[in-house]
Amino acid sequence: MAKILIIAEHFDGKVEDSTLELCKAAKSLASALGAEPAAAVFSKDGAVANEVAKYIPAVFSVEDANLEKYSADGYTAAAKAVVESQDVKGVLIAHSYYGVDFAAKLALALDCGIVSNCNKVAVEGGAPVFTRNTYNGKIQENKKVKTDKFVATFEKGAFDMEAAGGAGAVTKVAATIGAVRTTVKEIVETMAGAVDISQAKVIVAGGRGLKDGDKYKDVIIPLAKKVGGEYAASRPVVDSGWTEAARQVGQSGKSVTPDLYIAAGISGAIQHVAGMKGSKCIVAINKDPEAPIFNIATYGIVGDLFEVIPAMMENL
Amino acid sequence: MKIVVCLKQVPDMESKFKIIDEKKIDESQIAFKINDFDNYAVEAALQLKEKLGGEVVIVSAGPARAQKDVRQAFAMGADWGIQIDDPAVEAGDNYVIAEALQKAIASIGDVELVLTGVQAEDDQASVTGVMMAHLMDAPHVTNVVKLEVNGKDLTVNRELAGGKNEVINLSIPAVLAIQSGINEPRYPTLPGIMKAKKKRLDVKKAADFGASAAAKTEFIKMFIPVSEHKAEIIQGDPKTAAATLVNKLKNEAKVL
Ligand SMILES: Cc1cc2nc3c(=O)[nH]c(=O)nc-3n(C[C@H](O)[C@H](O)[C@H](O)COP(=O)(O)OP(=O)(O)OC[C@H]3O[C@@H](n4cnc5c(N)ncnc54)[C@H](O)[C@@H]3O)c2cc1C
Repeated sequence: MAKILIIAEHFDGKVEDSTLELCKAAKSLASALGAEPAAAVFSKDGAVANEVAKYIPAVFSVEDANLEKYSADGYTAAAKAVVESQDVKGVLIAHSYYGVDFAAKLALALDCGIVSNCNKVAVEGGAPVFTRNTYNGKIQENKKVKTDKFVATFEKGAFDMEAAGGAGAVTKVAATIGAVRTTVKEIVETMAGAVDISQAKVIVAGGRGLKDGDKYKDVIIPLAKKVGGEYAASRPVVDSGWTEAARQVGQSGKSVTPDLYIAAGISGAIQHVAGMKGSKCIVAINKDPEAPIFNIATYGIVGDLFEVIPAMMENL
Repeated sequence: MKIVVCLKQVPDMESKFKIIDEKKIDESQIAFKINDFDNYAVEAALQLKEKLGGEVVIVSAGPARAQKDVRQAFAMGADWGIQIDDPAVEAGDNYVIAEALQKAIASIGDVELVLTGVQAEDDQASVTGVMMAHLMDAPHVTNVVKLEVNGKDLTVNRELAGGKNEVINLSIPAVLAIQSGINEPRYPTLPGIMKAKKKRLDVKKAADFGASAAAKTEFIKMFIPVSEHKAEIIQGDPKTAAATLVNKLKNEAKVL
């Protein structure tokens, strides 16, 4: 039977949450397409393959010294070997740091179409139709592939995580990995900072809408102090050096779940939202009524933050 | 070092978006600018040129309006450029664009490093650079937040989640997808802007480079997403709205 194959991701021997989300996706997509869900696991010794098998009925394990660490060359060669030795219809990959690094390469190696950064898939007329965000989430589009096989990557959170259940069958697949042209020397910490905003009950976060570092300091920090919380930022604020990296919220920063998260001059890009959507109460202050941040906020004010925040200060 | 930067012109995401016939956005109300991530790639290339010599070539696929932003990169200091202004490429998918860019880059000859942004702000696909690397048979690294060149060897940091970086070695020729924050992109100077007007910009069709890829994906339609959840928008002038908000946070949500 044809298979919908996910490529498992693991780090330090631990299976990533995004892989469990893909297990869920593979099951529903496979059943809609009359196919079987399966996973491919790449590692040095296959240990993690048994872990993945708790979540999906069939696991194909490629084991090679060159697969100890992630590389685009290694993962592409291994995934190609699994796809070619099994009857694989489609490959699902997380739109993660590793996923974006090899998914498109795999699609070309398989000579098939790729639809990346999807948040939904439906089956229409026997073929998968993908939904994805464009224009910073202001517009979505539907796409499909024109080729027999497909590769798709999915945003984190697109599906719920599959719960551990049975014990799937693990089958070894032989693959010639070949030369790996990128060598990982070490992993370093870059955000070791004194502050830990993840414990704060109230967070006031400022974004690019603050315009410059002085305004960020004059507007965001006093409000944070007044409400007894921590100040935080979106990525462009940190990129521009207006505040330190340890205060960045999002996919490449901290994940926070305060009781109150005030987002001022932040558009609500998916990578930012990934780090704060679990907050209990979210306030968005943005002059653009169509900013995606309003789709996840509890309360919103459409207006100029330089007028709204001083007025808030007067009422606190 | 001979460096190519692939640059895309994108809408300013604060623009008001309207869709025509579920097929395209109404450009009449859109302001265009350089893809933010590409700006960092241009700066990274210029810094390498300042250190090692060589040249920085901008390659861009896009309609006539994109020239404004190619010249913006010239004003920052890039030397010359190629614009692929071809409706067939515009109508294609990421693969068609990647092939056209890669063939254009091959036509330059002896390119040692190709830089792109990690993603285009408009289509958010993050695939073009990786595809180009595959077509060039060159190694690549995405999400690069640090870059050092030592002869033919590159040492780069790849961003990972949670503040971690992987330190990676590879050799040129290579493709790197540059992440924001790797540097502070410079602003063009007035003399830079004057010089940019005279810099060479070759306007080409894909066929001029022998590019002829067919799309492997099909666009079906675009739409404004309807969110299941919408914020309670607090009305009134800034003063009234702010007072109402504070009151709600204290007495309704009870989070202050
Ligand atoms: C791999 C990857 C990882 C990433 N990780 C992160 C991450 O961890 N965290 C993160 O934040 N981003 C991250 N990003 C970047 C993300 O894609 C966005 O670029 C970023 O979140 C945008 O930040 P912003 O909302 O501050 O800026 P913008 O998107 O530019 O939004 C600015 C907003 O301010 C509003 N505004 C402007 N002036 C005013 C005013 N006077 N009053 C009120 N509103 C105003 C505008 O309407 C606009 O909505 C990542 C991107 C990638 C590709």
